[in-house]
Amino acid sequence: MARQWGMVIDLDRCTGCEACVVACHAENNIATVGEDQAARGRAMHWIRVERYWEGNFPNARVIYRPVLCQQCGDAPCEAVCPTYASYHNPEGLNAQIYNRCIGTRYCGNACPYNVRFFNFYNPVWDKPLNLQLNPDVSVRSVGIMEKCTFCIQRIKVAEFRAQAEKRPLKDEEFNPACVQSCPPKAMVFGDLDDPASEVSRLAQSNRATRLLEEVGTLPNVIYLRSVS
Amino acid sequence: MERRDFLKISAVSGATAALDACGKPERQLIRFIPETDLIPGIAVWRPSVCTMCPAGCGTTVRVMEGDAEVTRKGQLGLIKMGLAKKIEGNPDHPVNHGKLCPRGQAALQVTYHPDRIRHPLKRSGARGSGKFQEISWEDGIHELVTRLAALSSGQKTAALAIVAKPMRGQRRVLLESLAHALGAPPPVFFQFFEEAVLRQANALSFGRAQLPTLDLAQSNYVLSFGADFLGTWNSPVAQNVGYGEMRQGRPNLRGKLIQVEARMSETGANADQWIPARPGTEGLVAMALARVILTENLRPASAAGGAGELIPGWAEGLKDYAPEKVEQSTGVPAATIAHIARDLAANSPAVVIMGGAPLAQTNGLFNALAVNALNALLGNVEQPGGIYFTPAPPGMAPAQGLPIQPASAYAALTALLGLSTPTTLAPASPPQVLLLDEANPVYALPDPRVKDAIEKIPFVVSFGGFLDETSIFADLILPDHSPLESWIDDVPESGVTQAVVSLAPPTMKPLHHTRATPDVLLEVAHQLGGRVSKALPWKNYEEMLQAAWGPLQKEKGSVQASSADEFWSKIRKQGGWWSSEVAPAAQGRPASAGGPPVSYKEAQFSGNAKDFPFLFMPYESQQFLDGSLAHLPWLQEMPEVLSSVMWGSWVEINPQTADRLGIQQGDLIEVSSTRGTLKASALVFPGIAPDVIGMPAGQGHQQFTRYATGRGANPFKILDPVFEPATGSLGWAATRVKISRVGKGKLALFGGSLRESPREFGKR
Amino acid sequence: MAAHSPEQLNQDVLRPLVRTSWRFYLTGGILGSIVLAALAAFIYQVYAGIGVSGLDRPVFWGFYITNFVFWIGISHAGTLISAILRLTDARWRRPVTRCAEAITVFALVIGGMFPIIHLGRPYLFFWLFPYPSERGIWPNFHSPLLWDAFAISTYLTGSSIFLYLPTIPDFALVRDKAKGWRRKFYGFLSLGWTGTPRQWHRLEMAMRIMAVVILPVAVSVHTIVSWDFAMAPVPMWHSTVFGPYFVAGAIFSGIAALIIAMAILRKAFHLEEYLTPFHFDKLGKLLLLMSLVWGYFIVAERLTVWYGNESPEMAVYWSTQQGRFTHLFWFMVFCNLVIPFIILSIKQFRNSITGPVIASTTVVIGMWIERFLIIVPPLERKYLPYSWGTYRPTWVEITITAGTFAAMALLYMIFSKLVPMISVWEMKLGWRQEAESPQLVTSEARLTGAVPSADLPAPEN
Repeated sequence: MARQWGMVIDLDRCTGCEACVVACHAENNIATVGEDQAARGRAMHWIRVERYWEGNFPNARVIYRPVLCQQCGDAPCEAVCPTYASYHNPEGLNAQIYNRCIGTRYCGNACPYNVRFFNFYNPVWDKPLNLQLNPDVSVRSVGIMEKCTFCIQRIKVAEFRAQAEKRPLKDEEFNPACVQSCPPKAMVFGDLDDPASEVSRLAQSNRATRLLEEVGTLPNVIYLRSVS
Repeated sequence: MERRDFLKISAVSGATAALDACGKPERQLIRFIPETDLIPGIAVWRPSVCTMCPAGCGTTVRVMEGDAEVTRKGQLGLIKMGLAKKIEGNPDHPVNHGKLCPRGQAALQVTYHPDRIRHPLKRSGARGSGKFQEISWEDGIHELVTRLAALSSGQKTAALAIVAKPMRGQRRVLLESLAHALGAPPPVFFQFFEEAVLRQANALSFGRAQLPTLDLAQSNYVLSFGADFLGTWNSPVAQNVGYGEMRQGRPNLRGKLIQVEARMSETGANADQWIPARPGTEGLVAMALARVILTENLRPASAAGGAGELIPGWAEGLKDYAPEKVEQSTGVPAATIAHIARDLAANSPAVVIMGGAPLAQTNGLFNALAVNALNALLGNVEQPGGIYFTPAPPGMAPAQGLPIQPASAYAALTALLGLSTPTTLAPASPPQVLLLDEANPVYALPDPRVKDAIEKIPFVVSFGGFLDETSIFADLILPDHSPLESWIDDVPESGVTQAVVSLAPPTMKPLHHTRATPDVLLEVAHQLGGRVSKALPWKNYEEMLQAAWGPLQKEKGSVQASSADEFWSKIRKQGGWWSSEVAPAAQGRPASAGGPPVSYKEAQFSGNAKDFPFLFMPYESQQFLDGSLAHLPWLQEMPEVLSSVMWGSWVEINPQTADRLGIQQGDLIEVSSTRGTLKASALVFPGIAPDVIGMPAGQGHQQFTRYATGRGANPFKILDPVFEPATGSLGWAATRVKISRVGKGKLALFGGSLRESPREFGKR
Repeated sequence: MAAHSPEQLNQDVLRPLVRTSWRFYLTGGILGSIVLAALAAFIYQVYAGIGVSGLDRPVFWGFYITNFVFWIGISHAGTLISAILRLTDARWRRPVTRCAEAITVFALVIGGMFPIIHLGRPYLFFWLFPYPSERGIWPNFHSPLLWDAFAISTYLTGSSIFLYLPTIPDFALVRDKAKGWRRKFYGFLSLGWTGTPRQWHRLEMAMRIMAVVILPVAVSVHTIVSWDFAMAPVPMWHSTVFGPYFVAGAIFSGIAALIIAMAILRKAFHLEEYLTPFHFDKLGKLLLLMSLVWGYFIVAERLTVWYGNESPEMAVYWSTQQGRFTHLFWFMVFCNLVIPFIILSIKQFRNSITGPVIASTTVVIGMWIERFLIIVPPLERKYLPYSWGTYRPTWVEITITAGTFAAMALLYMIFSKLVPMISVWEMKLGWRQEAESPQLVTSEARLTGAVPSADLPAPEN
């Protein structure tokens, strides 16, 4: 039953369109913070498309790299949390239990990927924008840390449905919001422990690499290097 | 995670929602009778059509029961209703294959926008003061009917003008029929980034006044001139899907992408090779490529057919366009040209595309024709891995021949408003009544006459759901439903190789006291009676849609049904109809509309190079397109991918230029053309030519909801009136500017360093 | 310098307990209002959200944690130094220990508040402690923050005992001399001390044990504080040198704080005869030593990083050597190394009281900057350059920081009004010991003015 959820991101397919970014905001009730707060480094994007320039005009080049919580197998954020708010669940996800969090922000410091986001204020949705909120996802209050969950609410719904229908969960039966929206299909999600799944097949690619492997976090997000 | 933990999380989300209501007045609100029979907590998915850009993607909307605070019959209260919660791509839809771009995702916020107009309004203050008073729908419609009736009784119906955003399908037919029945000039479908030049060129070269469909998935080599086809141009989701397949969808075969442009776009950033040709010389580059292919006998000149005949000197092997000769003007080394030409010929199927800035030059038509000829020469037209033209669905005239509407919406709009135009189009007499459907020409056009002309029109009616720079002048506002609350149909112009009708019913009940504009217009037609009600006899829009698209039941397509009712209910569930016949690969040479050859003329720029040393290059924004989406907070806070800017606008400057002028990232820069001046923060941008200044469109709204008003600067306002002569399109990439530092600006950047290894590149 | 009698000593040391000048009230009022402002700022922060601070992503820790580390460092003034001096039986320690130990307790109290002040949800701070609760979970013992909670509470308990034990005989002395409420108050504090040999014996035993026990606790506390950083995989935090580096820095800043406190006490309470240039000379030498040790550590830390040339660490390294923090970095070196070295290595400067006080002031400033430079630059430049950020403190953080300095001074002032700031019985004991065995009368004793007078004071009075 235990699965190892993982994701493969093909950097050769990624076009930097940012569909994943807005899809994630919509799915996970991520608040927008406004210009002033955004300028102070408090914008919350559970997934971001990193952009790195290489070279100079006229030989300038760009690398896009979507970065979300890497759902580390050995996550630095989990060890340092004094209240078990950051916790490793049996399916290999780094879960964030919002109501345990007291806001030491230690996990945010320990995370080498900077994918943890802190609620510096209570989130605000100008009415009736509050009606867009997804009822399956908790709204986070001021003073707590939040981050990508691999859309655990979707995982759970799919698992419950499979359970109710007394059948195994199928590969690609569901996807996190970012994967589902991704127009060039750069992202693939699934069970890395299932040898038949597309994600585990792609993870075998000779282009496969992991982000900041040297830190020893054993990420479950695998990047396929861009060719060229 | 244990089940228990999950339940805890769910409980907290519920509790948070409940607590939110504590101590707030809505607890005392009355409850209306529920407008939904949805099971609490269970989501249903309903099809819809994305209207954020003209691509026409099919969507599927997650609807769940929820409590909405609404006004019903003047009484504020709470109601249980089905609420749209998330928009995804419709997996069955042949344009976007279940995928969706960020703008499509953000469409949810149009419905729930706090500044939506919630009921009909009548102007109560001075024009443009933004003072309105609430009126009833009956009064609103009555007023409109009275005005229109007065026009027709006074035999002055030519004085009616209809300006709408680009639309296809029955809503367009409805507006056209209304104008026709009232004897008014045809409606103008206006947006800033129009594709008149490309449509004109495709009509001349291939006989199709239509944007091309790119079969990227099967392509081995893509050469793009300025077309941001992965970002905003044409049908971006369809093109992204194809691009992914082109790169990694085929075992051991990876298609290449070469991008030619002076300012690196989101697409250019993905290219294997990025070639900054001088703006306005893209046609020369294409011709030099063709020249190499011809001289090296890689393809016969005759392969290009009619598309080649439009280029002077084609049959003679394009002697004037030797790579060495054009190198001086294009800035592209002859060796590079030769290399790419051979690659193009060797890596069939290859596709050549042009879009964006190269078309917005005085020689835009030549540039487009040159690319078309090159495509035809390579044998890419209507071939797998090349370009196609989406067939029109049965019952709809295909876009064959030259465009029906005067080529450029800019020219048509100015003519409609009674202004002189850049073309031979004669100005009409100034209109007495203007119907506005979401178009915003006052924001988009640099021409100040447009605002004055609209201000002078005695009666302006706006149907859009938001107050913007144009609708602020309205005397009457009859707000439309949001797209999620409406019947929508669309006929994608491109992005798909089969005939498609996207069609979907409302996904949710209207939140506010709005009415669907097509229903309102049909009601108006009914009340006007006579010729008008005969032309538009339907009681409501669904009836009209059924009348138009019901006959598709007989065609071979995605919906099999034995009765009209069954067909209609299936189409409602599927979100449209698409033909099962894919456009066939063309046999022989592509047909050309023919016409006199168009010769190359050097691109003209406004402003002399001495006083205005930089070329100003606005571009369609990844966040807001032409600015019509700047009111959505998700898009405002989405970091634009290359700059990582949120909530603002910026000007892009080459690092060396910035160093030379002593400009640093975040400095406030004044950009001046002969027409005007704007101020925006500087962004050091390695992917732009040293003599080019880039700037995204979309911000600088004076009036467009709380999220966009007064934010950033509008690049359109400093564009000089330079035109592509054949179509009268605005040459928006042909304005020269000067820049100077005026102080400290502000930039909300999401990204830290420009470089992955900053030390390697010195301090920058 | 005239030798002084036990009566004189009693008078000099106990005078502040009964007599209070207007200057005291004025200073107390100023400090109190700064503390109140800080309190208001904190309440505002709790009310509005921690967003009113300058913290952001990725710099999740800023001024607050800087203050935390700084004050925990200052706390090493007292207990650690006093324990070392007691164990080595350095006789000149006698007038020094009390004011040193008091610094420890107050600095710990102030420093210990910061992990709570900086919480996103400070009202839930008690979740850091293990207690049986309806939530059904223990805190995570893997987290260095939890180690902190234990280390600091242990150290605070130990230091309080360490401060309190040798004060008991003095409380009894005050009780015996006082009337009214003071008699009751000090009677309560003196725990029925009558000065029996058994009581003396027990006190001595307890002090000896405490001095031994508190040393490893003190060392471990700052080591654990350093591990808050060293345990996280953050470039230039993740370093083995941090434990001893922090302890050395703590003792360094602690001595500086002690010198400043002594100078102020000396001036305010006219204790010139007891806190003499000799003490400042001794402590000044110690400060110079620690300055050099600190310099050694910073060289060891920086040189290995630079030579190792790993790119994530170098990004942080360059931001302090050639970037945003360069000026601050060299100012810190100036404060912690250059100034103390010039002043304290020259005898004339060291022997004056002004010299060590100036050096100590720059060291306190420099060490605060050092804590800041340890915490903030690595967070600003953590791995993926796209997510780099900057940190700028807001008025809320600055007010609260100023408030801690005011609170420290205020607590110390109030303490000095309630407790004799020089251990009276230890002074007297010292005099007696020296009289009993004149061979032990060292130059040190002469210089401190502790030359025994004719009549030997009984230790209890």
